Order: sequence, then structure tokens, then C-alpha cells
Amino acid sequence: MNRLWHTRELSTVAILLLEIAFFGWYLWPEAGRPHPFLSAENALLVLKYSSIYGIAAVGAAVVIISGGIDLSPGAVMALASVVCGGLFVGADWPLGVSMAIALTVGLAAGALSSILIVAVRLPPFIATLGVMGITRGVAFIITEGRYFDLSSQLAGGWRPLGLPADWVAPLVMIGLAIVFQILMTQFQWGRAVFSVGGNETAALFSGISVGRVKTSVYLLSGLLASLAGVVLAAVQGQGKADLATGYELDIIASAVVGGASLSGGRGSVLGAVLGTLIFGVLRNALPQVPGATFYDRLIVGLAVIVIVVMDQLLLKRGK
Amino acid sequence: MASAGLEFRDVRKSFGAVRALTGVSFSVAEGEAHALVGENGAGKSTLLKILAGSLRPDAGEIAWRGERLDLRSPREALERGIGMVYQETLCFPNLSVSGNIFAGRELTRGGRLQERAMRDRTRALLGELHLAVSPDARAESLSAAHQQLLQVARALAFECRILVLDEPTTALTGAETDHLFFVLQQLRRRGVTLLYVSHRLPEVFHLCDRITVLRDGAHAGTFLRSHVDPDDIVRAMVGRDLPPRAAAAPRDEAARPALELRALTRRPCFHDISLTLRAGEIVGLFGLVGSGRSELLETIFGLYAPHAGAVLVEGREVRLRSPRAASRAGIALVPEDRQRQGLFFNMNVRHNLVMPSQAARGTVLVRVRAELAQTARLLTEWRIKAAGPAASADSLSGGNQQKVVVAKWLAIGPRVLLLDEPTKGVDVGAKFEIHELIRREAAKGLACLVASSDLPEVLALAGRVVVMREGRIQGEVSGPAATEEAVMRLATAELKDAS
Repeated sequence: MNRLWHTRELSTVAILLLEIAFFGWYLWPEAGRPHPFLSAENALLVLKYSSIYGIAAVGAAVVIISGGIDLSPGAVMALASVVCGGLFVGADWPLGVSMAIALTVGLAAGALSSILIVAVRLPPFIATLGVMGITRGVAFIITEGRYFDLSSQLAGGWRPLGLPADWVAPLVMIGLAIVFQILMTQFQWGRAVFSVGGNETAALFSGISVGRVKTSVYLLSGLLASLAGVVLAAVQGQGKADLATGYELDIIASAVVGGASLSGGRGSVLGAVLGTLIFGVLRNALPQVPGATFYDRLIVGLAVIVIVVMDQLLLKRGK
Repeated sequence: MASAGLEFRDVRKSFGAVRALTGVSFSVAEGEAHALVGENGAGKSTLLKILAGSLRPDAGEIAWRGERLDLRSPREALERGIGMVYQETLCFPNLSVSGNIFAGRELTRGGRLQERAMRDRTRALLGELHLAVSPDARAESLSAAHQQLLQVARALAFECRILVLDEPTTALTGAETDHLFFVLQQLRRRGVTLLYVSHRLPEVFHLCDRITVLRDGAHAGTFLRSHVDPDDIVRAMVGRDLPPRAAAAPRDEAARPALELRALTRRPCFHDISLTLRAGEIVGLFGLVGSGRSELLETIFGLYAPHAGAVLVEGREVRLRSPRAASRAGIALVPEDRQRQGLFFNMNVRHNLVMPSQAARGTVLVRVRAELAQTARLLTEWRIKAAGPAASADSLSGGNQQKVVVAKWLAIGPRVLLLDEPTKGVDVGAKFEIHELIRREAAKGLACLVASSDLPEVLALAGRVVVMREGRIQGEVSGPAATEEAVMRLATAELKDAS
């Protein structure tokens, strides 16, 4: 119990609960009317939209813990949505095959980042900035301004794996969060990621293959970004080159809010996913607050700063 | 010692429950060269930080010429005439020499930098220090010794009356140390007060008039140089007598070779290095900075690819493409810079200790219980003082950190242990323990190659010393022939001829 109390993720959970309590109170409806925020349908909605960010945030958190940064997830998501939509709608391929190819494309984007970082030795910021441009560019070249409409093809009763369609993405996100939390804490691979992020030179001198570790994290980030892109295509019902613009920064912000340090060596996958839920709740609740329409970006920006500052204060007190 | 120069009056400082200084009082006469010695954790760094204005004491005060100094920032200390020269060279590698000297107090007119005035002043200062470098050279292009002297120049530019030097010679060669001492003697003649902090007692006895010893945050005594010898100082530092050193183990000619180097070459660092290490043997590798000894160790450890030659472990040739391959072949390296190359400060002691053995074994799943057992065993076996396996690496003292770095490698069960400066910046007690532990492992059959610029250390540990110079093996001395003079002659001969 004592150990649970000291886990870093607890403060992220606390912030999330506070946030839900606040909006639950603030948006309390007049007697007899249903609550616009505190309802099962709305919770599922929050989870569904957050999972787009959350799936990619798992990869982003691992990259950040390794001391790197990935700016390409937003663009990779768009490309994956276009590839998946193009093959499924445009070329009439089976959905499963279209998705698999979209994931392969994401893996390829991750591979390109790793080659640029590990073999060419570019700084991760520059390498993934380039990959971000390339993937977004390829998405535009493929679509030539058109978009692929998946919603007409995915009929209302679509039940992937026998589950209601809306459940799939949240379940995938939760599953990935659990699996990678365990991989990062209970497996040597995770330990190696932390060590490379904490002190790359010492990692090399300890006999860790720094190159392999770095390659693995960017491959993972590319793969999960494309998975998020496939989810995005399914949720939005379209594959389009300008989807998910700027998402990479929201994803990085979620990881940081969840306890990741941009200088590497610290952070948690679970925290990053909880971070996306914090922003997911904000994005869901703010439009329901009268008069807040033009303020939501401002409030999201302030939230990043306030949460991280609070966290630092808590850390200091903890010491 | 007539005038009261710099006085420490009952200075106290605690960090949480740890009492770093428990009321330290002593004084340094104006114009004196005064040494401050003590083991790591004795409170030297805390005292220096208070003097530099970066820490404030809980109680007590510092006075200069009878006047109380209330230092609230390093800037204020500098303005009151206290200059610091730190152990780690603190400089801006991206700035020029003159940029470094005037950093934070640039000469300006109407907000514009007076580049020429600063350059001229810098040139004059460099002349005083007999430093043949250009004011426009970038600091990163300077050698460690010159960077150190750059800090002295900076202190002079601020016209400091008190110069504090914290382990200034750690990274310097003999000749460079001589140069620094020459400069310091000159400064003394000009009336600058020196406070000299060092682990190297020969230097302290060479330079200083009086020696103050700190132990466990308290003043253990101030001694006149002429009244004591180094053993007295060590006793005051440690608070007990050190057991006599064990004699170096006799060389066992029959033992099988553990490591063989055959004409190993990596241009331009070293050429044609052939060397055989037998199981259980401790061989010293001595050479000045730039002689290629660190590069040789790092190449054997697989960090660089050699251009020619072969490495054999227990008679079998091994291809070492990475440290991972080297550690799997049974070669371990305790690197020179434990902060940068040895430890993970984002992780606890347990994670640090098990890292190499897991990397070498290719462990997939972390088994916490096995790790805890291994950590507990290493902590007791190596007498590492840590709050526990979950203590963070930066909570340990320098000596204990170094023991962690050595212990984590011995946990892989290597056949060859390469040590680069194994006791750099480590206090006397921990140094002695590390030496004992190296001897003990060697007695069990481990072959050790110890590179160090601390010549007495090399001679005390190794039965045989290989001397490198300019990337080549210059010779070898062993047994009674291994004296400081003999080794230094080999290490420097040609350099002296050339000059």
C-alpha cells in the first residue's frame, strides 16, 4: 500500500479525478434533465477520442524516456488513415489487409527515423521533423486533395471481433498501456530504455546496445502512430492527408503531464495515457461550457503549464 | 602569521538530517598558501560552496581582514575578491578564451562589447600565466590543463585576493602541474592568498605552509608543514591508522595468459601494442595524458575498432565490435569518468549494480527478488555504504559510487578487468579499500590492467608496469626496478630531449 502511495502515476490519476469532479459539478443540469458530462455514453465518447492520442502516446512516452523525441506521429497518423482508406475504399481491398499495410507504412516511417538517428546520427528532433514532412507529403501526393470516405463502407452494425465498434479503440489503448507499462518496468528492454535516456554514455560502457534500443523505440513509435491513424480513420470515417495536424505536440504534452522528462530517463507509459485522458476530458467538457468556445486552446495550454508546475512542487515536497 | 586574513568562525551547515559542517573554525593568514584536506564527505565541498557564495551557512560566519563577509551569490564572492578554480573545469566550451575570462562581466561601452579591450587584457593575463594560447581560441580546443589555467586567469581578471583551488591537478600531467605550481608561487609573491584543496599530499606538502584537516564536518586540526609528515595528515583525515599495504603478489610465470594483445593498432592513438596478461596478474599501464592509454583500454573493450592486430582472451581470438561483445567475452572496463560513463543517476543502486550482468546475459524478464539478493551480496562484499538497494546513485559519496562501478562489472564474472583511473577523486580510505578489493579479485585469478596517472598507485598495485608514450609501449619495469624515477624516465624521456 505504501508503495502504491509513492507511485508517480498517482498524482496524474488525482488530477484526472479532480478534473472529472469539477466538470461534473460545473455542468450539473437542472432537475430532471440528463447530465451532459457524467454519463456512460459520454465516458465512452471521451475514451474513444482519447484513444487516438493515447495509442500514439504509448510510443511517444517510450521515445521520450529513451532521451529522444518524435515529431512525426501526427503525420504518420494521417498517412496511415490515407493508406488504409485508399486501399479499403479506393482499391476495394479487405479491411484487415488495408489496416495491416497501413501499419507496415507506420513501421517504415519509424524505421526511417531510426536509420537517420542511429546510422546517420542526426539529432532526433531534426530526423523526425524531416520524417514528419516526408510522411505528410506522401499522404498529400497519394490523395491529391481528395479524401477516402470510410463511413459509407463501414455499415452501422459493424462489429469487429464481435465487439461494439466504439469499444475497440479504448480497449486497444488500455491493453497497450498495460502491456507497455509491464514491458517498461519488468523487462530488461524497459530497463535499457531508461538507462539510455538517463546516461547514454554509461549505457554504452555497460554493454547495452544503444543503437538497438534506439531503433526499437522509434519503430514502436511509428507503429503505434499508424495504429492510432487507423483508429482515427475508423472514428472519423475518413482517410485524409490533413488529419491529425499538430497532434504530435498534444501527444508530447500528454507524456510530459504524465511524468515524462524531456531530458530522458524518467517517465511512465501509464502516466502518458492518463495524460491523454486529462486532455480528452478537457476537449470533451469545454465545448459544453457556455461561452468557452474560443477559450479551449488557451485552457489546454494553461493546463500543461499548471500541471507540470504542480508536479514539480509535489516532487520537491516529496524529497 | 601576523594579520588575520580569512577567518572561518564556527561555520555550521546541515542538509536535512545530515550535518555537513558541525562548527568549523580556522583562519588563513593573508598571503599564505593554506591547504584544506579531508576525506570525501568530510565537509570540504560544503565549506568551499559557502566561501563561493553558492550556499549560505546555517550559523557562523566568514571574515576577511576582520570584516564579516555576507556572501549571497557567487557573483558577490567574486566581487569581494574570492576566486574559485574548480575540480571539473567549469568553462563555456563554445566561447573564446577571452569570452570565458570575461563571461558575466564583459567590458562594455554604451552596451556594446569592447572586444578589443577584452582581447588585450586577456593577452596580458595569458602572458602573466605563461600560457601560449590565442585569446580568440575556442575554450573546447584547449587541453584540460589550459582550461584549468583559464579559470586562474579569470580569477586574476577579477583581481582576486583569495584564490581557492579545488583539486586543480586531477586532470593534469606532471609537467602541467609544475607549470600550475610555478604560476601559483608567482601569485603568492604578489600577496594573493591561496586556499588549496587536494587529495594529493605530495602537492600539498610542496606548495602549502599550513594544512587544515577536516573530518566528519569538524575541524580535526591545523598543522605547520614543517612539523608533520604525510602519514600524520592521513591519520588525522581517517582518524585511525591504516593497515600496512600488502606486498604485490609475485608473478606466476606458469599461469595461463588471460589477455593477449598482438600488435594492436588504432591510428593515431596507439601503434603496435603487444602485451600479455596472465590470470591473477595485476599489470600497471602508465603514461601521461595523450599517451594513448585510455584509448587502448577502450579499444580492448570494443568501443572502437582497431585498424590492425588481434585480441586474444584465454588463447582464443575474439572479435570485439561493441562493449556488449567484449563483456560477453569476459572483458570488463571500469571507465575513467564515473559520472559520465559509469553511473545512471536516474536509477537506484540496485538497477545500477545489475545492469552489466543483465546486458551480458541478455536477460529478458526482470526478477526483482534475484536482483535484490545480488545487490545485497554486492553491497556487503564491497562494503558499499548506501541507504539500501533503493537508494539513488547520487546519494552515495564518490568513493562508494566508484565501488558501485567496480562491483557491477565484477558481477558478470569477467576474466579480464580493465581499470582506467580506478581511484580518481576518491578519498584515502575508499582508495585503500578499492586497492584491497582489486588485489583480492586478482588473487582469485582475475587478470587486471590498471591505467592510472597516479604513479604511486600504479606502483603499489602492480607487480609490473608497462609504460606508454605517444601511442607506443616504451618499456616495462617490474619488481624492485619499478621505481617512480624509472617509470617517469620512460614516460617522458623523448619529450625532454625534444624541448
